[in-house]
Amino acid sequence: MRPRLSVRLLASTLLAAVLAAGPALAQTKELLTIDLPGDPATLDPHLQWNTDSYSVYRNIFDNLVTRNAEGEIVPQIATGWTQDDDTTLTFTIRDDVAFHDGTSLTAEDVAYSINRIIDPDLNSPQLSQFNQIERAEAIDPTTVRITTKSPYPALLAQLVKLSIVPKAYVEAVGDEEFNLKPMGSGPYKLTAWRKGVETELEAFADYWGGQPPFERVLFRAVPDVSTRIADLKTGQADLIRDVPPDQASSVDGASGVKLLSVPTERVGYLYINAQAGPTEDVRVRQAIAYALDRQTLIDALLEGYASPVNILGAPPIFGYTDQIEGYPYDPDKARALLQEAGAEGATLEFLTSPSYNQAMVQAIQQMLQDVGLDVSISSSDQATFLKRRQGDPENAGSLAIGAWSCACQDADGIIFPLFRTGSIWAKYSNPAFDEAVDAARSTLDEAKRKAEYETAYQILREDVPGLGLYQVYALYGASERLQWQPTANESMFVMDMSWSE
Amino acid sequence: MLRYIVNRLLQAVIAIFGVLTIVFVVMHLSGDPTLLLVPQDASAEVIANLRRQLGFDRPIGVQYLDYLGDLLRLDFGTSVVQRVPVSQIVAARVPYTIELAAGALAVALGLGIPIGVVMATRRGGWIERGLTAVVVTGQSVPTFLSGILLIAIFGVLLRWLPTSGTGSISALVMPSIALGSVSMATFARMTRIAILDELGKDYVRAATARGMRMDQTILRHVLRNASIPLITITALEIGNLLAGAVIIETVFAWPGIGLLAIQSIQARDFLVVQMIVLLISVVYVLTSVLADLIYGFVDPRIRLMR
Repeated sequence: MRPRLSVRLLASTLLAAVLAAGPALAQTKELLTIDLPGDPATLDPHLQWNTDSYSVYRNIFDNLVTRNAEGEIVPQIATGWTQDDDTTLTFTIRDDVAFHDGTSLTAEDVAYSINRIIDPDLNSPQLSQFNQIERAEAIDPTTVRITTKSPYPALLAQLVKLSIVPKAYVEAVGDEEFNLKPMGSGPYKLTAWRKGVETELEAFADYWGGQPPFERVLFRAVPDVSTRIADLKTGQADLIRDVPPDQASSVDGASGVKLLSVPTERVGYLYINAQAGPTEDVRVRQAIAYALDRQTLIDALLEGYASPVNILGAPPIFGYTDQIEGYPYDPDKARALLQEAGAEGATLEFLTSPSYNQAMVQAIQQMLQDVGLDVSISSSDQATFLKRRQGDPENAGSLAIGAWSCACQDADGIIFPLFRTGSIWAKYSNPAFDEAVDAARSTLDEAKRKAEYETAYQILREDVPGLGLYQVYALYGASERLQWQPTANESMFVMDMSWSE
Repeated sequence: MLRYIVNRLLQAVIAIFGVLTIVFVVMHLSGDPTLLLVPQDASAEVIANLRRQLGFDRPIGVQYLDYLGDLLRLDFGTSVVQRVPVSQIVAARVPYTIELAAGALAVALGLGIPIGVVMATRRGGWIERGLTAVVVTGQSVPTFLSGILLIAIFGVLLRWLPTSGTGSISALVMPSIALGSVSMATFARMTRIAILDELGKDYVRAATARGMRMDQTILRHVLRNASIPLITITALEIGNLLAGAVIIETVFAWPGIGLLAIQSIQARDFLVVQMIVLLISVVYVLTSVLADLIYGFVDPRIRLMR
């Protein structure tokens, strides 16, 4: 009767499906497939600032300078630079660089790219990283001069992220079209962008830096991490980003794939409100520092994929210091400090959003409750969380965790926005600290800058408006055949990857 | 009949307007996308400038009227996150969701109705018990779990089907089964109940008395009479499938409007969210109006009554 027919139908459908799936799995390895958690929001490199856009478009464009495997700033399009005075930097650039349409890249394009991103009319979300630049001018076809508003030591670190776009092309097609069909001088050119599905790049044969390693690169948007891992294990993806530590073992043990991990410049930290609530008392903030067992957090929740830090900053940043003593795990001392402050049983509000590791939030809550604080977790969506966290101190909760990276590897991009009086993140104010970070941002003298940051970190150690917890490791899953050394700034340059023989 | 349809459509317009207003207010009250767009180290001044440029500093009432005005001119605006017209963004994703919903509906109807018929006609046997287990499983396993289980078994272990992606029939199989299984259970239950209802009626006894075989009676008469509630269910299930697509599309990286909705809500891309909500409400309303019309074709009594 009916059911038998439908069973037979189902069986034959499944069989057909299985047969159809066969050939799709056997693909030539001239193609590199990378699973990202999301689709690039924009591919105009002067617009969106998110990791998915960034992972793709940095392969289409070149920058003036870049970082080498050791993390040092080295020339890319630039061949060299001289500091004319405190606010002027002159770059000489290569004369053998071509855009994907064959036109050559000149100083005009470099100046245009810088002036474009700081133009208020573009509304670039990245503006804050470049708004210390006053203007850029092309002196001759291979010389560009950049003027900053004041001495700006982080300029080179920021320029690592400034993509050079072709002036003539952008002006001819307009901003909207350029975003859909971006063109640069990088090792790969865009061939197709199927929104929400995948972005396809093809090797640029005339790339000045040599032959790119793969004929084609496919970036796919796969939001669910279990699915990304399944894609990797079945060979449908060669590289996947954002493997959470608790899933690392499922990649590490599997055959044909390997786990890549790298210590990054990103630092996991706890924010403590120094301007409102029970944590306004510095003893309560110090008690919190004594109550946290960082090594346990790292071992139990991050599977060891992190290293403890004593300051709010990780070793790859300029200004990192190992001269500051950390707070040891000492719950008795924490209880004593709380008693002294009369804050036993005080209620602390712990702000969080689904973007953060909830197990970490709960573990910290537990550790603080163990020393006699009453911690309540308020979870909201990311936009609401940011609104409160960046808003007025009275409403900014007592605690929150975060993982900070400025992608500039400089303390200026971390503790200045987090703690400088007047910054939206700061629920803290200390003139001595402000003086140190202001001084460090307005001199080009590296020794002096290092000294100022050490002073600043010493003040933060005493005041505890925030607490560095650990250096975050970036985890990737990769095919065993893929050769690649991930970097501290979490960039994904396909040029650095290759198949092993 | 015409008046009835016009009435229904008027109600629908009011309902959609209400939905849009609620979504607009809820989304705008809980923060705007500016904070999510800028890098962490942005200063208050930069954020305020960007917010002004994007127009989010205006009173919510003004923004709302502005939005309605644009909507009347069928201008859905430009996404502040992607900087592309919203209609383009959504239109690119709709075919994927239609494909997935069609696949899921095929699974739901193709399995659900036969299972329901068998359960109604083979009561008490081991077949019914086995099928009950299938139905209960389909109904109670949440789609995100069944999706991941399917990937683990057929994708990773057996390697029969691709674990994610689109573009081939084989890629459609697992998401359709995962999404359609809940509806399948609903159809099976409803079919069983509807048929049992009909089996007790006089015309069935009359047909049996005339010497008709049971399976013929069911095929020729009972199924047709039992189909009225099934049409209502189908209309409702299309709505449920769209809702379920939000989860299934995320699990299988299926680039439809469900996944787009999630991403746009997280990014606070208001205009995209609002257009998706508009689209889904229109589909909901149209399917239920359509269901009413189809009753008329299936059952002449309803047609004549109006």
